Amino acid sequence: MSAGLLLQYAVVALAAAASVLVVLHKRFPNTTRRLRVALALPLLRAGRPGWMRAIGRWLAPAPASGKDCGGCDSCG
Amino acid sequence: MNAASELARVALVGNPNCGKTALFNLLTGSRQKVANYAGVTVERKEGRLRTPGGRPVAVLDLPGAYSLNAASLDEAVTRDLIRGFYPGEPAPDLLVCVVDATNLRLHLRFVLEVRGLGRPMVVALNMMDAARRRGIEIDVDTLARELGVPVVETVAVRRDGARDLLAQLDAIGGATQQPRQALPGAGDPGVDPGAALHAETRRLLALAVAMPRRTAAVDDALDRWLLHPVFGLLALALVMFLVFQAVYAWATPLMDAIEAATGWLGATVGATLPEGPLRGLLVDGVIAGLGGVVVFLPQILILFAFILALEESGYLPRAAFLLDRGMAAAGLSGRSFIPLLSSFACAVPGIMSTRSIQDPRDRLATILVAPLMTCSARLPVYALLIGAFIPPRAVGWFNLQGLVLFSLYVAAILSALAVAWVMKRWRRDRGEHPLLLELPSYRLPHLRDVAIGLWERALIFLKRVGGIILALTILLWVLLNVPAGVGIEDTLAGRIGRALAVLFEPLGFDWRISIALIPTMAAREVMVSSLATVYAVAAANDDAASDVLRGMIAQDWSVATGIALLAWFIYAPQCISTLATIRRETHSWKQTAFATGYLFGLAYLVAFVAYRIALAMGLG
Repeated sequence: MSAGLLLQYAVVALAAAASVLVVLHKRFPNTTRRLRVALALPLLRAGRPGWMRAIGRWLAPAPASGKDCGGCDSCG
Repeated sequence: MNAASELARVALVGNPNCGKTALFNLLTGSRQKVANYAGVTVERKEGRLRTPGGRPVAVLDLPGAYSLNAASLDEAVTRDLIRGFYPGEPAPDLLVCVVDATNLRLHLRFVLEVRGLGRPMVVALNMMDAARRRGIEIDVDTLARELGVPVVETVAVRRDGARDLLAQLDAIGGATQQPRQALPGAGDPGVDPGAALHAETRRLLALAVAMPRRTAAVDDALDRWLLHPVFGLLALALVMFLVFQAVYAWATPLMDAIEAATGWLGATVGATLPEGPLRGLLVDGVIAGLGGVVVFLPQILILFAFILALEESGYLPRAAFLLDRGMAAAGLSGRSFIPLLSSFACAVPGIMSTRSIQDPRDRLATILVAPLMTCSARLPVYALLIGAFIPPRAVGWFNLQGLVLFSLYVAAILSALAVAWVMKRWRRDRGEHPLLLELPSYRLPHLRDVAIGLWERALIFLKRVGGIILALTILLWVLLNVPAGVGIEDTLAGRIGRALAVLFEPLGFDWRISIALIPTMAAREVMVSSLATVYAVAAANDDAASDVLRGMIAQDWSVATGIALLAWFIYAPQCISTLATIRRETHSWKQTAFATGYLFGLAYLVAFVAYRIALAMGLG
């Protein structure tokens, strides 16, 4: 397989992975939020190394905005 | 509001349709939905502003309320929030009681109720321009003196219409609690508090307001025709009919241009990129898929231009009044009209706006039938199928495609009424709830407001195209190309489609339609992009010339299949957000499961019957 073709497959794989995240985020916002909290909590425990805590902070969702709407952007 | 630098919280309160949200938009630069009827805002909205004196202010836009004795969920939000009982929200520092200056007889009652809370408040006399045009003279100083609170004039639709209000926010920055002013006679034994409010309102009107007549002459003249039991209904049918004619008659040149641009882009990208998966994804997936959806933007915008103009005109509550008798017979009430109308844009805000319905049974019935209203996401699917199977010829003065689109909308409305009627019979409810509805003054739609509304609508649509629809199109393209090097029917998507086709074959749906139905659960328009991707990939594999999607399905499907798919889309609850909203608003998985089950059941049944009838008529 040529390097060019490999690169094309890598781009397609990245696009597919990003698409999965977009669908999860837009259509299952609460589930995604719970999932992010569950992933972030173990990384943020006391005693974890700095890089792990940094990943945990990155994974953790932002505080809820207080909007009544679930934020699925579906109102079209 | 103590220190100049401290964030003050100001709440806009008042009767429905007095212009609170228009004032909120003017103050904060927001673009919340406004319309000329009661019940548009059903939840609190928050925005920020800085007064001319530099004071930062958080502005809350609250749902309209006729009284502090809340009769519906949205009124309860306002009641609790201004009293400081709303969970997680402190009481506002200042209440701005917005009143419609052309309708003080109604709105002053609420001002008196709010004043009785004893909280700092300002009265904003909104729509003063309209009041002056009607010859209404208001002695603002007398009104302020008699009420014992500051009164300012505002015109929320004018750029500098809140100048006096902003100055007032600065002026009363350090104000303390307003003295509670009891109504004359309110505490006396035997005196009805409501009667005391009425009496005080009449006294204030006599002192401070000179009104040549209670209603506008033009409103009375128009209402004589538009509220007539026969001519009114005819006018309503004519308006709706013309809207759908225009959708087809005006959109074609723009749609042709978008189609040509998409074709050019696909050909250019195809010629530029080397052979490989990335070119396939971009040309057959992204450009073919998204181009197939974007082409319907002109039709959506034309439809919404009419809806926005009707919303601003004040005609829609009249339509609710006209339809009340029919809706009551079906188990709904005229109150259901506005939520159902909102559902024509999207069922999610439509279901949320049922909070303004006071009776819980009416509210539940409205929630359960709201998904049947033809939301804008269905329009691309309808337009695709109509374009493929209905010739664009004239029938008398009318466009046949427009007629078919109109009949699809009518079929959805009649189905909703039929379902509501069955539910009413099921629960053996023989009672009818009287409709009390405020009819606003007619207003010429502001071109700027309609243009902003259309811009917002276009952005929402394009955001969906660039977000969820793009994501699902990419995923479907991947499934249609894995594993590589096999025929399309042996790919992952092909296998899933063939498995599903067993279920959908009785409706005339082949594996390609079946696979396109799955991502449609996330957004209905994905049906179009999915079909475009499936056909583009198949065409690329077959080395066939690319064609526009509707030409391909017209060639590939029978008319009976097209009719069955149209019938399916009238009923099927193919929108996970709608189902999530039903769950949130009813707090019941049982009701959500019921809505999902009956809608899918109905979709399957009607599509099956439509397919069989079409086959029997020789349309196979």
